[in-house]
Amino acid sequence: MKQSVLMSVVLGLSVMAAHAQDKLVMDGSTTVGPIAKAFAETYMRQNPGVNITVSESGSGNGAKALLNGTCDIANLSRHLKESEKKAMSEKGVKPVAHVVAFDALPVIVHPSNRVKGLTIDQIRDIYTGKITNWKEVGGGDQRIVVISRDTNSGTFETFKELVLGNDSKIVASAEYTGSNGGVRQRVQMTKGSIGYAGLGFVDRSVKALDVNGVAPSAESVVAKQYPISRELFMFTNGEPVSDSLAAKLLSMSRTEKGREIIEEIGYVPVPEK
Amino acid sequence: MLLSPGARTRRRLAELAGRGVLFGITSVAALAVMAIIFFIARDALPFFTQVGAREFFLSTEWYPAHQPPRFGAAAIFAGSLLVTAAAVLLAVPLGLFAALCMSDVLPFGVRQILKPVIEMLAAIPSVVYGFFALTVVAPLMQNAGSWLPGQFEIASGVNALTASLILAVMALPTIVSVSEDALQAAGRELREGSYALGATRAETLFKVVVPASVSGLFSAVLLGVMRAMGETMVVWMASGNAAQIPRPWYNLLQPVRTLTATIAGDMGEADQMTGSAHYHVLFAMGLCLLLVSFACNLAGEWIVARQRKRLRGG
Amino acid sequence: MRLKLRKLMDHALTAGGYLAIGGMALFLLWVLVPVFTKGFGAYVFRGTVEHRRMMLGEFNRGDLARLRAELAEVWRAREPVYRAVAAFERELDAMPAARRKALRSAFREVREGVAVLLGPEPGVPLPALTRRLYGQTRWEQAREKAADILFEETWEYSDAGSRRVLVPRAEQFEGTALAPVFDSVERDLAAMMRPRLTVYPRFLTDRSIDAHFFGGIGPEVLGTLYLSLGAMLVAVPLGIVAAVYFQEYAKEGPSVAFLRSCVNTLAGVPSVVFGLFGLAFFINTLRVSPGKSVLAGALTLALLVLPTVIRASEEAIAAVPRAFKEGAMALGAGRFRTVATVILPAALPGILTGIVISMGRAAGETAPIIFTAAVSVGQMVKPSEVLSQPTPALSWNLYNLCTEHEAVEELRHVQFGMAATLVLIVLALNLAAILLRARVARRLKG
Repeated sequence: MKQSVLMSVVLGLSVMAAHAQDKLVMDGSTTVGPIAKAFAETYMRQNPGVNITVSESGSGNGAKALLNGTCDIANLSRHLKESEKKAMSEKGVKPVAHVVAFDALPVIVHPSNRVKGLTIDQIRDIYTGKITNWKEVGGGDQRIVVISRDTNSGTFETFKELVLGNDSKIVASAEYTGSNGGVRQRVQMTKGSIGYAGLGFVDRSVKALDVNGVAPSAESVVAKQYPISRELFMFTNGEPVSDSLAAKLLSMSRTEKGREIIEEIGYVPVPEK
Repeated sequence: MLLSPGARTRRRLAELAGRGVLFGITSVAALAVMAIIFFIARDALPFFTQVGAREFFLSTEWYPAHQPPRFGAAAIFAGSLLVTAAAVLLAVPLGLFAALCMSDVLPFGVRQILKPVIEMLAAIPSVVYGFFALTVVAPLMQNAGSWLPGQFEIASGVNALTASLILAVMALPTIVSVSEDALQAAGRELREGSYALGATRAETLFKVVVPASVSGLFSAVLLGVMRAMGETMVVWMASGNAAQIPRPWYNLLQPVRTLTATIAGDMGEADQMTGSAHYHVLFAMGLCLLLVSFACNLAGEWIVARQRKRLRGG
Repeated sequence: MRLKLRKLMDHALTAGGYLAIGGMALFLLWVLVPVFTKGFGAYVFRGTVEHRRMMLGEFNRGDLARLRAELAEVWRAREPVYRAVAAFERELDAMPAARRKALRSAFREVREGVAVLLGPEPGVPLPALTRRLYGQTRWEQAREKAADILFEETWEYSDAGSRRVLVPRAEQFEGTALAPVFDSVERDLAAMMRPRLTVYPRFLTDRSIDAHFFGGIGPEVLGTLYLSLGAMLVAVPLGIVAAVYFQEYAKEGPSVAFLRSCVNTLAGVPSVVFGLFGLAFFINTLRVSPGKSVLAGALTLALLVLPTVIRASEEAIAAVPRAFKEGAMALGAGRFRTVATVILPAALPGILTGIVISMGRAAGETAPIIFTAAVSVGQMVKPSEVLSQPTPALSWNLYNLCTEHEAVEELRHVQFGMAATLVLIVLALNLAAILLRARVARRLKG
């Protein structure tokens, strides 16, 4: 009896250990989320028995998870902050950035809004509360409902860096949502709203404005004409061992199929050299 | 059955040991509470030493990610207060009336069916209510703006009113259930005495029964308050999350932000690696929530104790 | 006071009471009816041939021969559309530049619409995302996408406000090679999609395909089950022991009063604070698992439901008639033996009631599991992995699907399906508890 118990424990442990090799944990940005989920799904279809889990709790949370060792790949839609880099070096974590795709931050409004485009200064004034009615920028007489992302968002960081500037404070009446999808939903529902979200989240239910005269699209991002563009990252702790699950998943963004996925989701694949 | 002295001692020791073990296991519950208070307080205190309570409670500038950061949570406290108060104001009269109806007006059979139905309704998960608020109530609220008199412009469908409405619906079953129990506990003799003196049902209820069960009713209201105050998902999804005090303060049609939604939403960013104030301020909010619910509990227990003393003839 | 006035107030009270109850009932119906009816639509709906193709392609379910025959028939209805698109592409190349520019983006939208409606054309290289491998699987959505092809949504801006206008696209392409597309889509949609009443009970157990575009909610249901069962595995022994202690062993005094106070305080802690504590204590301090896991989530939930279990068990034990206990002691049984062999069995139905209600509560909670257990995408967790793997769960993924997802509007049926399933699970558990309690009441009455 004791022997068979021992055997089953050993077998169980080895089964668990075997499974331990075939799993990967990804955490982080809701912008990169759709790409991560699609990659995970594609890989799991071709390799049954592998379990890749994806969480979308925000870029800040992804960085934290990488630091604590609770995830293998952190999805971030921004660069690491200085404080994060310092904490990581203190803990012996060496973050390595892999660019997965390019993204633009379209500024979106409700389709009923007749404004066609804004300048960066106008957008800043709207978000800091200097402009409060659409008629001041060529729209109808309607109060502007400002929608922004939570502070754990890489999207918010990019917006702050490229549009607001580090000194401006967002107006107190601005509403916050926790994800790109949330912004899109709010803008779609609310007539006088304005928001910003990743390219992959813009569809026909919202209207993307021209910024400084340039419309957001794959072409304008690659040509570096659209003023609010950024890179989407996946970070690992150290360079991943070649042929490991993490390495394979990261290299997907450079394969033909991976590029198609990124394009179909709506982002801009890294152009081939 | 007579036992030898040795066996008797052994049995007594076994009893003591057993009681000790049971006490120990029961203490896990107590330990859990103390651990919660300890961990929350431990991570909340650095905020008060680093930044200070004055800014936290008095300033309305909530810019935790800004350089330099501002942690004025007054607007968030106001948001929690507003939403909870509105929910309770909506739910308590409705709930009390419903409880009165259930205990004294409805026939017994209907009551037997209604009570479990209400308990089942209390069990509907909060995320389903939030989903409902987002998909049905918010668009309705937005469209309602078009046919309301001009002064109340509804710019956004997710606002304090939406959240309060849903919270009221969530708190209702609790309030009704506990109130109904309290009203029932007043007893038949009290009611029959009043009827014998020629009072109508309404007079009996309002002048005799309700005053007799006022402590139980108060407990019901307290439980409703705690339910509304501690709710996270509904306010996160349906209150708009704008850290502002509405202008004027009673304008429920503007978005607000509550403590619970801030904790749930910002918990991800919490820069716990560098021990930043942003991380600690969320725990400070958690501590405030804990303390308020603790105070409500104490109030509830004090009322029950006072009622018990009064019944005993104090 | 005059008699009439008093009677009036009395009637007012009665009326007010009925109104209150009626209002409550109405509002709750308003919440539950759409959830159930639309949620039902996740399981029973009019499915198109694309759904059957998807079932075969992704799950290997269905009759290949019959599907092939169907596809051949469907092709007859679809071929004109594909041919028209190809023909127009050639025509577009030959057009003068100005006209080409005017029509190009509209044509792209039509072509995209056709791909979304019917799926990729046979013989063309397959797209990479699974969701684009098939056309619309549900008839209602197929009709919506058909409307997208037939009409262009534009907004008329004027000083009075904006108005949404649907402009038929056929006008723009009149006389070109693309014209037959609109005719076909309008007339032959049913022939192209072949909708049929589809019953999909496996929605409950299938894994999700491509972020819930296809497939079911199996991982979420399993995750919810794991979490609530796990929570009860921890909370029930602790709770019963605590209840026994309070009712049978404790001598009223300051320490016991303190313990009771603690249990009451635990009951009042907001759920998000439990989540904070679970993250700070179970994951970061105790390190029960390397990251999020079912274990950490179950432990957090166990703390959440512990007070309820204790209270329900206490009530059940207190309700056992003293005669039982006194009889056992009169026969010489020690206290432990009395409790174990007489009181607990008699109190069992009441305790079970509490357990069942708590399970329902644990299944529905979201805030405690956000940072301890829940992920957006993941396979079904195997029992051997519960100690270390995170899991999707109905409550969290409902939130995720209706706010964060990239295609919220397309997946409404999945959201309602999740909501309905979750509510059904919780209500079923509560109903079981109520029936149990009725049985207890009957038994104790004699």
